Amino acid sequence: MNGLRDKYAIVGTGKSRLGQVGADSLSLLEEAIKNALDEAGLTNKDVDGVVVRGADDIYSHHQLVAARLGVDASFSTSLDNGGASQILSIILAVMAIESGLATTVVCGYGRDSWSRTHDKGGAGLAQNDLIPAAQRPREHGPEFGHFGAVSQHAFGARRHMFEYGTTRNDFAAVAMAFREHALRNSDAVMKKSMSLDDYFRARLVVDPFGLFDCSLNTDGAGAVVVTSTGRARALRQTPVLIKGFASHNNTKGWIQEDHMISTGAVESGERAFRMAGLGPRDVDTAQIYDCFTYMVLTQLEDYGFCKKGEGGAFVRSGALRLDGALPCNTSGGQLSEAHVEGMLQIVEGARQLQGVYGPERQVPHAEIALISGHGGNQVCHSTLILGKA
Amino acid sequence: MAEYNKPIPVPSSESKPYWDGLREHKLLMPRCDACEGYWFPPSLLCPRCNSAKWTWTAVSGRGRIFSYVVYHRVYHPGFADEVPYAVAVIELDEGPRMISNVIGIAPDKLACDMEVEVIYQPITEAITLPKFKPVTA
Repeated sequence: MNGLRDKYAIVGTGKSRLGQVGADSLSLLEEAIKNALDEAGLTNKDVDGVVVRGADDIYSHHQLVAARLGVDASFSTSLDNGGASQILSIILAVMAIESGLATTVVCGYGRDSWSRTHDKGGAGLAQNDLIPAAQRPREHGPEFGHFGAVSQHAFGARRHMFEYGTTRNDFAAVAMAFREHALRNSDAVMKKSMSLDDYFRARLVVDPFGLFDCSLNTDGAGAVVVTSTGRARALRQTPVLIKGFASHNNTKGWIQEDHMISTGAVESGERAFRMAGLGPRDVDTAQIYDCFTYMVLTQLEDYGFCKKGEGGAFVRSGALRLDGALPCNTSGGQLSEAHVEGMLQIVEGARQLQGVYGPERQVPHAEIALISGHGGNQVCHSTLILGKA
Repeated sequence: MAEYNKPIPVPSSESKPYWDGLREHKLLMPRCDACEGYWFPPSLLCPRCNSAKWTWTAVSGRGRIFSYVVYHRVYHPGFADEVPYAVAVIELDEGPRMISNVIGIAPDKLACDMEVEVIYQPITEAITLPKFKPVTA
């Protein structure tokens, strides 16, 4: 795998409008891909690969995306790895280009969960209902009142609190740091500052998680364009080098072994760092999959940014802030920018390395970014390490 | 008695013996004949050694709360009058973990590693739920 280090690059990134957009997920994704291609100085004629994740109930999603772009693709597929899919799409793009199946691949994800849960026609769905009925458990859970992702991750938070003395004050430090970043990002959905009082005053959802421990319910999409570094040199933008990647899946189940409190970031991070020839101390900014506050804390431990069990003290030290030891989720993340299942974290990591932001929002001297993807209700994990060219 | 309006489990072809056992107030778990390990929920092969030879085996019904959460939000109308209510991951003494409720104790008195034992709660003629209560000394 080390032979692939720096051989491929991200040459364009794009977002759609974010928030209460009121648009279909496919059109949001089309918007983000078009923005990414424009930024790269490329057109649909340059694209021969499409790797996307769709809504769970859209069959052959990649075909619909490629049709909208007007692309006959030599490599095209949808993937299903939950919130770890978005980094995995870049890994697949690299593998496809390396094996000669494609030359320039668009990767993206679009989501319209705000629109689908706020349908004015009265057919509005609860967020849990966005999962197709046939995929929902019919035994060993719902009969006890157990439903959905909030609770599944809250179980891990509780056990972490028990084993390591972690508290909701620690979770608050994550939420407040990311909110502060969102205030510097005009794209971010959340526009108001958050105090510790605000955090504790917000309603409990599934204790130990309150409202501000949970990522946002938003419409939005993100996309990136991947090609070889050789090709990238001829393009408009300074490329962002793909230095390392890996994935790991705790597929035995979130309820098994120590999977609630130790994520696939342990194995995925170790392999990605080895591929990149780097370690945690080399990372200038981390963009961590923040479906819930606690998941940031435990992933930071699992990646080795601090010891296991010391995530609470680490996040309370101010490390995650723009001027901290490890500026983290500098766009506001899914907790405060928009929830696009990790795709916007990739966009943000790449842009920090391109140095496109003004001083109010730029991580100074950012050369290495680590991005994580986490999904399948605490099962799937992926890691991407990017470097300044 | 008010009509039961919470989700009623739909047994699969594999879990039917489990639900049949509960109706007779037995907590049955798959146990591997080869490596003697237990697992849950049931599947064709032992997840440890992939042996196809295994037996539904009654367990003690004793265990501990591995973790628990307290629902404040109503996700299903059947639980509207119950919030805040606790859902727990129970680790049975024999090893397998399962989702259930711990009853007979206020949610704010629960703790990880608290010892619990199974009680049987019939909800329909066909279905009895395995719930847990704290072990009293």
